[in-house]
Amino acid sequence: MTAETVEHAGVLEIVAGDRPIREVNQEIRAAVAAGRDVVVERPMSRHNLAVALSGAGSVTFRGSVGYYCGGLSNGGRIVVEGNSGWGTGEGLADGHITVHGNAGMSLGAAMRGGTIHVKGNAGPRCGVAQKAGNIVVEGNVGYSTGFMGHGGRVICLGDAIGSVGDSLWEGSVWVAGEIRTLGVDAKVITPSAEEVAEVESLLSGLGVDAAGCDWKQVVSGQKLWYFEARDAKKWLMI
Amino acid sequence: MADDLSVRNGQQAAEELIAFGDGADAARPAGITSSYAEGRSSRWQREVIADIHAKAQLGRYQLRGFSTFQRNLPTFDDLVFQPATMTRLPLEGYREQCDTTTVLGDGLGKAEKPITLDIPIYIAAMSFGALSATAKAALGRGARKAGTMTCTGEGGMLEEEREENRTLVYQLTPARYMVDLEHVRRADAIELVVGQGAKPGTGGLLLGMKVSERVARMRSLPQGVDQRSTCRHPDFLGADDMAIKIEELREATDYRVPIFVKMGATRPYYDTAVAAKTGVDVIVLDGMEGGTGASPELLLDHTGVPTLAAIPAARRALDDTGMSGKVKLVAAGGIRSGADVAKALALGADCVMIGTAALMALGCNSPRYIEDYRKLGTEPGACHHCHTGLCPVGVATQDPVLSERVDVEAASERIYRFLTALTMEATLLAKACGKSSVHNLEPEDLRALTLEASAFTGIPLIGADKPFSW
Repeated sequence: MTAETVEHAGVLEIVAGDRPIREVNQEIRAAVAAGRDVVVERPMSRHNLAVALSGAGSVTFRGSVGYYCGGLSNGGRIVVEGNSGWGTGEGLADGHITVHGNAGMSLGAAMRGGTIHVKGNAGPRCGVAQKAGNIVVEGNVGYSTGFMGHGGRVICLGDAIGSVGDSLWEGSVWVAGEIRTLGVDAKVITPSAEEVAEVESLLSGLGVDAAGCDWKQVVSGQKLWYFEARDAKKWLMI
Repeated sequence: MADDLSVRNGQQAAEELIAFGDGADAARPAGITSSYAEGRSSRWQREVIADIHAKAQLGRYQLRGFSTFQRNLPTFDDLVFQPATMTRLPLEGYREQCDTTTVLGDGLGKAEKPITLDIPIYIAAMSFGALSATAKAALGRGARKAGTMTCTGEGGMLEEEREENRTLVYQLTPARYMVDLEHVRRADAIELVVGQGAKPGTGGLLLGMKVSERVARMRSLPQGVDQRSTCRHPDFLGADDMAIKIEELREATDYRVPIFVKMGATRPYYDTAVAAKTGVDVIVLDGMEGGTGASPELLLDHTGVPTLAAIPAARRALDDTGMSGKVKLVAAGGIRSGADVAKALALGADCVMIGTAALMALGCNSPRYIEDYRKLGTEPGACHHCHTGLCPVGVATQDPVLSERVDVEAASERIYRFLTALTMEATLLAKACGKSSVHNLEPEDLRALTLEASAFTGIPLIGADKPFSW
């Protein structure tokens, strides 16, 4: 334990500041793996904080974080009290990330499980190449949200800016607000009552009131699934 | 009148003398035919016409596997070694040692476990999906026997290949199939793929016939779709972002394994200079001769830089940025023999990868199951139908019956022997040049046979003893 790290009422307090990121992460990782709760002061928008967490503990950042916060984790609970940068929760296999502010580009890129919950807005390419898991954004999402998603859900309670659900495989983008433009080979369907119940239950578990939302579910038109001449015009748009 | 007639008769007689008459073509020396009689044009060749007919039917570009068919590419054959004579001493070919140990990831001191290979050659990234599970297992086992490694390719980490390989490079391609903490931590090196030589600037391609249940599950895809992967990574764009991504990967692997970046050769000098500043341990540069399981045909033939030209440019970039020795350079693309290996090392590569040649050692294009080649409209020695998934020898297929045609043990033995033969060839040349390590091969050991090769490699033109320059 370094001078910057103290224990207070059972919670480990770490000061990130300008310390080597490897050292800060080692302390976070060890504590979360041991099921403990950690608070990180002065995260200073540093990149790669809380990468590769496992275990049942939690870490709270008292401020904003940079790129890839929580990236490649397969456990733990992360709370960012400020904003988060690009690729938050990228490659997440399991675990839970909450961002109180806004999240940058490529939120939850290629994630394979777990939940990411952003209370503000998310940038472009939210849920890009997502394989599984849930991304919940209470505000708006940027262009190309869900781009080439394989599975899982992006759930947006605000508006989706443009090119929504571009080139999806089997993932889906749920939008309660306005869909400005759809991406290539994306279509809007009305979700089944069962699926709506599932999403509402997920949201209520996160303390998000989604009662009365007019859900639009964006899914793949499946025209890009095969190389065929009749879809040549679609292909030319990619 | 009489004069007129005699003139005409004279003309007729001359025509008869000049003309060869019927069967003239048959009377030509063997192998020489009249392009006029055959309707052959130097511009509208048969394959050009067939290509137009195919595209007129398909309404899209043609796809195929294998590698470039581009004519007149410069090759390693444009260079020759100049063994030791009066000014240098050779080593005994059969008695004296030539070290082939190759270390990757030791230069920056960032990775705690650099990779040590017994030979300067490893097996290039070819995915499970592009290749059968039996082929992947055989490559892994053969590489292990030869003291070297393989790379997963795009389709995730196959259980069989992890078990067979002692050392395994795990690829993070833009599609990020199966990339999570568990798999990243089972890798001995992580490779960020920015591009590949066969089709730089584009993502992976795997046609539906090869997207089997298992392939689909590993890639999180619907079974049977024509998979096209993205060309850009989902969570970084330029080199500055990539540097942060590399730090993330070091964090995720606890600074244990080396990080590689793989690029197709397009602007090898500038791309290498930029890549070397991102904090990677190893740069893998893939020339345009690099193979692929499936690609738009025009990318294979009309994009990229040949390996021969790419290596000296990349080495120059590392020298100019002070990164030679710190960042290692792996070269790939069209390496066929130990002579190619030795020439690549002499030009500046620290290590080489073989892909297509390794598949041939497995059995690709071998003269067996002739009927199955014919069904594809091809024959052994000319097959390039990897994209169809109907590989007659079971290498580039997901068909369970065809896959069984790769006898893993026998095929792995051939891989081992081929790698041994390549290494022996490379050391034979190195020892003749007086080198006690293959890594001591240098540009001075080479001369260029052509002006072009001399101009873009900086190797002296044969006989002139100085590089051709303009």
